[in-house]
Amino acid sequence: MSESLFSCRELTKQYGGLTAVRNVGIEIRKGELVGLIGPNGAGKTTCFNLITGADEPSAGRIRFCGSDVTNTRDFRMARLGVARTFQNIRLWREMNVLDNVRAVCRGSSQYGLLAAFLRLPRFRRGEREATNEARSLLKLLGLDGKEAELAGDLPYGDQRRLEIARALALRPRLLLLDEPAAGMNPSEKSDLMRTIQAIRAEFDLTILLIDHDMKFVMGICERIYVLDHGEEIAQGSPEEIRRNPKVIEAYLGEQA
Amino acid sequence: MSGELLWWLNLLVGVGIFTLLATSLNLINGHAGMFHLGHHGFWALGAYATAWWTIRLDGELSGPVLYGTSLLLSTGVAAVGGLAVGLPCLRLRGDYLAIATLAFGEVVRILIQNSDKGFLGGSQGVRLPRVFGEFEGEAAKLEFRALSLALVATLCVLAIWAISNFIRSGHGRRLLAVAQDETAAGLMGIDPTRPRVLAFVIGAAVAGLAGGVHAHFEGSLAPQEFEFMQTVKMFLIVVLGGMGSLSGCVVGAFLVVGTERLLARAGGAIADWWQVIFPMVLAIMIVVRPQGIFGRRELSDWFRALRRRRAAP
Repeated sequence: MSESLFSCRELTKQYGGLTAVRNVGIEIRKGELVGLIGPNGAGKTTCFNLITGADEPSAGRIRFCGSDVTNTRDFRMARLGVARTFQNIRLWREMNVLDNVRAVCRGSSQYGLLAAFLRLPRFRRGEREATNEARSLLKLLGLDGKEAELAGDLPYGDQRRLEIARALALRPRLLLLDEPAAGMNPSEKSDLMRTIQAIRAEFDLTILLIDHDMKFVMGICERIYVLDHGEEIAQGSPEEIRRNPKVIEAYLGEQA
Repeated sequence: MSGELLWWLNLLVGVGIFTLLATSLNLINGHAGMFHLGHHGFWALGAYATAWWTIRLDGELSGPVLYGTSLLLSTGVAAVGGLAVGLPCLRLRGDYLAIATLAFGEVVRILIQNSDKGFLGGSQGVRLPRVFGEFEGEAAKLEFRALSLALVATLCVLAIWAISNFIRSGHGRRLLAVAQDETAAGLMGIDPTRPRVLAFVIGAAVAGLAGGVHAHFEGSLAPQEFEFMQTVKMFLIVVLGGMGSLSGCVVGAFLVVGTERLLARAGGAIADWWQVIFPMVLAIMIVVRPQGIFGRRELSDWFRALRRRRAAP
């Protein structure tokens, strides 16, 4: 059993009188691919926002890589190695594909202001490094040849892949994917599954993903947490989750 | 004949100064997406810093050294001003930022207006010693204006080069990222305050430089010159050329300053019509072509496309 990379305990978020997430505990070990599922409004995206520091929890602790990171701001969490994609795609639409990735690459923050103004050697070195890294990420996600297009002009599936490329440019240890397969057809979904497996192996990644499509989640995740009305109602392997009466009720209850 | 030439040289220097002002305003408003309306304040800071320095050190430093050091001081003073405004205003967005920066611009003007006569000249204004010597006769005037034009053109090229290098660097990309989606930028490891403050400081510094050039060129300053209408003019240049396009600023500066000066030259009742024409052009532009003439594109993009087309068989 490998060591714990991420854990949160008794994580709670209240917005005024509404409790979006209550007492959620998640533990992810290094290298795992874990799913987070639940009906609409179950608090999945809120969990992501708390984990990434985009939102502050009302109560509970978060640990990452052995240290307490509760209330750490979003950009610091990102630098520590937590990257994410968004349910409603949030690319920098007016920037081209290459720059969307290069803005995040380390090479492009390895020189100062003066070097940038005067195009000094340090600037060129940093830019070369950032460009090479960005290009190899784009290639990995099948976006090579589109680097000059504006991100906002890309077809939907490409935008989803570009978000993954951008998140990988952070060289994360933990990657959070918020409904990566939303709006994709079955063949695109199976492509995406292969891509996720490939990047996981290549970058030695630990992944937590949210999705609605049970087949997709069951097919790819090793362990699954289920949320309903902001509370954790089950966790276990896909097999266990499939047979769990509480989970069946939560999903059937929604449909009824 | 030489009167005509003098007029055109005067116009071109004016275009140069407004190119500097518009490109720096564009960095803050266009690229960084912050609604800043106090650029005339940074301009005034630069102009008066140069006036103060030149009056104190006239005769102690040689002309070119005095000119150069005064421009450096102007740039520095305005940059500090940019930091002083940028830091506290960072939490403000949209209209609130516009009001705060507008207030800054007006405060600078009013402080200068009420300053001690021996310090910044007060409401009477100041006269600057001519660092390149007093000129008598047409020929000397012509020479001074040609020299000023060469200087301002050089500074424009350098400033545009430096700003475009900045925008196409990691610093610039992070700035655009924060401007386009701050939440995404934060979650991708970009501290959203740094690029914003940087844009403010650089924009203010270039406006200060324009102030220094302006002060030496005009030879005298009055606080009334640095009124809000000047920022409106810079804004028109930016909107006309295209928010976020440096080439647009140059073209816009030619159009706006050219129109204003030509109308003024026509004299009489028409002279003040620019105050009617400019807001109308601004309104029409925003309805018909809100992205401006260039949008976010640059002339260099167009050249590149042309070259590519020629290279292809």
